[in-house]
Amino acid sequence: MAEKPEPVKVLYCPICSLPAEYCEFGPDFEKCKPWLIINAPELYPDLLKEANEKEAERISEQLQFAGISSSGADGAVSSVHSGETSSSKQEEVKRLPGGKIKKKARQEVVIEKVVRNKRKSITIIKGMELFVTLPKSLGKKFATGASVVKGPTEKEQIDVQGDIAFPETAIYFIEDGRKVPAA
Amino acid sequence: MFKKFSSDEVSSQNQVKASVQRKIRQSIADEYPGLEAALDDLLPKKSPLIVVKCQNHLNMVVVNNVPLFFNIRDGPYMPTLRLLHQYPSIMKKLQVDRGAIKFVLAGANIMCPGLTSPGGALDDEVDAETPVAIMAEGKQHALAIGFTKMSAKDIKTINKGIGVDNMHYLNDGLWKMQRLD
Repeated sequence: MAEKPEPVKVLYCPICSLPAEYCEFGPDFEKCKPWLIINAPELYPDLLKEANEKEAERISEQLQFAGISSSGADGAVSSVHSGETSSSKQEEVKRLPGGKIKKKARQEVVIEKVVRNKRKSITIIKGMELFVTLPKSLGKKFATGASVVKGPTEKEQIDVQGDIAFPETAIYFIEDGRKVPAA
Repeated sequence: MFKKFSSDEVSSQNQVKASVQRKIRQSIADEYPGLEAALDDLLPKKSPLIVVKCQNHLNMVVVNNVPLFFNIRDGPYMPTLRLLHQYPSIMKKLQVDRGAIKFVLAGANIMCPGLTSPGGALDDEVDAETPVAIMAEGKQHALAIGFTKMSAKDIKTINKGIGVDNMHYLNDGLWKMQRLD
């Protein structure tokens, strides 16, 4: 490494904080558009065209408005209409992100880590009544305390002291007596 | 990993002693030889280096309140995206196709087909379990930092399932945390 690499200056959008070229995938592309047209027109040639078209439309509309006074009311109606459609569009966009549907509760074993006191934590295993309850052997395995606790909603849960970390590759589903890796 | 991340998750932050600082510096230099020359600017020897410990065994290297690197347990140090954007050549690059961008920016792991399709590109020298920069078709800058699950050759031959774990991506919790006080 003979020479020092110069830091690259990246253009970040002030609205969504992403690099300008990723605005289109950002949370609010519509809001970024005006800034993009001014600051990064080369990244979005389509946008510029779109903006130009809109501009042209507006001007032509104005011209019409000014030119033919009798059809002025007509023009006003159309402009109001366009305003409405754009607002409804925005609402749709807002609703989209995070529109995930949660799955219904199934028969499953849930392993949960609860932080108890800063660095101390409990690993809770719920739904083990589907199989067998084996707190003592779990405690032995991880050299910590383990106990069966009646949970508030769940029937039974096993509390194991500490953060029992294991790689995802160590979890298996048992399907038809065969081990299927979970991750 | 950083999908939700805020200062609440910081469990402790310490100014580390000089020997630890040297060690961190050395391991970053080993990991990213291209960055060695610029390291004096990034981690000045004089200014204090703070290691922030967070939940889930996450450590962050912070200088002047700006997070620069992070690692998990004792894993390799990875730069934050803001840093990677400044020095794009330090990491090996994998490129995903345009269709994948949306999902990666939502935090999805990178699937093999997105890397092997016409819009994607692979650096053949990438081994399994290494940090890589995830680039995107038609874009200049990285959109995520990943940790490979299999080597580039395996990605090509298997072409199925998760190829790279998504560690840190644009607009995630860590990205939004420009400064850490």
